[in-house]
Amino acid sequence: MGDLLYNFTEWLRSTFLVELALSISDSSLSLWIVTHFWMIPIIQVIHILSIAASFASVLMMALRVYGVAGHATLDETSRRYTRVLWWALALLVISGLGLIIGEPVRELINPIFWIKMVLVIVGVIVALSFARSMRGHVRRDGFVQGGEVVGGGTKATAAFLVILWCLIMAGGRWIAYAPV
Amino acid sequence: MMYPEPTNIWESIEYSSLGITIAESTWMFPTFETLHVIALVTVIGTIGIVDLRLVGIASRGHRVSLLAKDTLPWTWGAFALAALTGGLLFISKASSYVINPYFLWKMGLLVLAGLNMVYLHLTTWRTVEHWEQDPSFPFAAKLAGWLSLIFWVGVVFFGRAIGFTLGFYY
Repeated sequence: MGDLLYNFTEWLRSTFLVELALSISDSSLSLWIVTHFWMIPIIQVIHILSIAASFASVLMMALRVYGVAGHATLDETSRRYTRVLWWALALLVISGLGLIIGEPVRELINPIFWIKMVLVIVGVIVALSFARSMRGHVRRDGFVQGGEVVGGGTKATAAFLVILWCLIMAGGRWIAYAPV
Repeated sequence: MMYPEPTNIWESIEYSSLGITIAESTWMFPTFETLHVIALVTVIGTIGIVDLRLVGIASRGHRVSLLAKDTLPWTWGAFALAALTGGLLFISKASSYVINPYFLWKMGLLVLAGLNMVYLHLTTWRTVEHWEQDPSFPFAAKLAGWLSLIFWVGVVFFGRAIGFTLGFYY
């Protein structure tokens, strides 16, 4: 695994990303972030709080599908948390860009950063389509004795999503420990 | 590797076999950190759902007592994991943490967040079923929601600040 990541880093070093990272680090915004000690921690705090909002949204929808946190219907639960999810994703992207601009080499020439980016894209697409499928569910299946029918596929997606988002967070933390 | 003789309780903790094991391992500290992040994100995310309802920003169509019922078991479970992993991180560098002002602030805010929650539950929350359907919540409930949000954001900030300042104090 270590070798694989090391080779990945070597490859990243041979791409245009090096030039890109260096030119970002020369930008005035990057210099401003670097020369203000508390900027990176503050942007990280915003990033962590946005993750808290988005992960809690994913978690509450998943738990609802399993019927363990469910005072509201699937439809209500999905609508309530999809709204939070969009806000949180917007903040995640903005704060994430801030972190890249502040420390471009640490992020862009980092194998774990790129693994995380792939996971993020999959995680966001699956989360949004999962939330949408919860809404569709009501229309197709209606209510069955106070509850709603949830198929095995939806439950499997719910579990997959929670695990995927945990892996995304793990990736975020391990960016700091990548062999660069 | 040899370690100096401990001169206080924090060094005794740090130079315990568990403390040394974590500090010398290449993977343990980052792994506990990762679990700590996942746990605290869950704590704050689920508490935030209730807080944002209390202050009237989100979930206005949902009863706050039901939101709390849905989230609280997960908040507590995640808090237990955060405390456990936080404790393991602390053990490995105990004497550096106890002299770090941001660590002390973080612990202080955790206590305040706890007291705020206990106070709310012993007072205004007892009659939640009477006021949760009202268009506007009692001042005490809104205040508790705002305080909780402020304390927890503070916990994240000071938690992150520890990582940037650990070598600064001795």
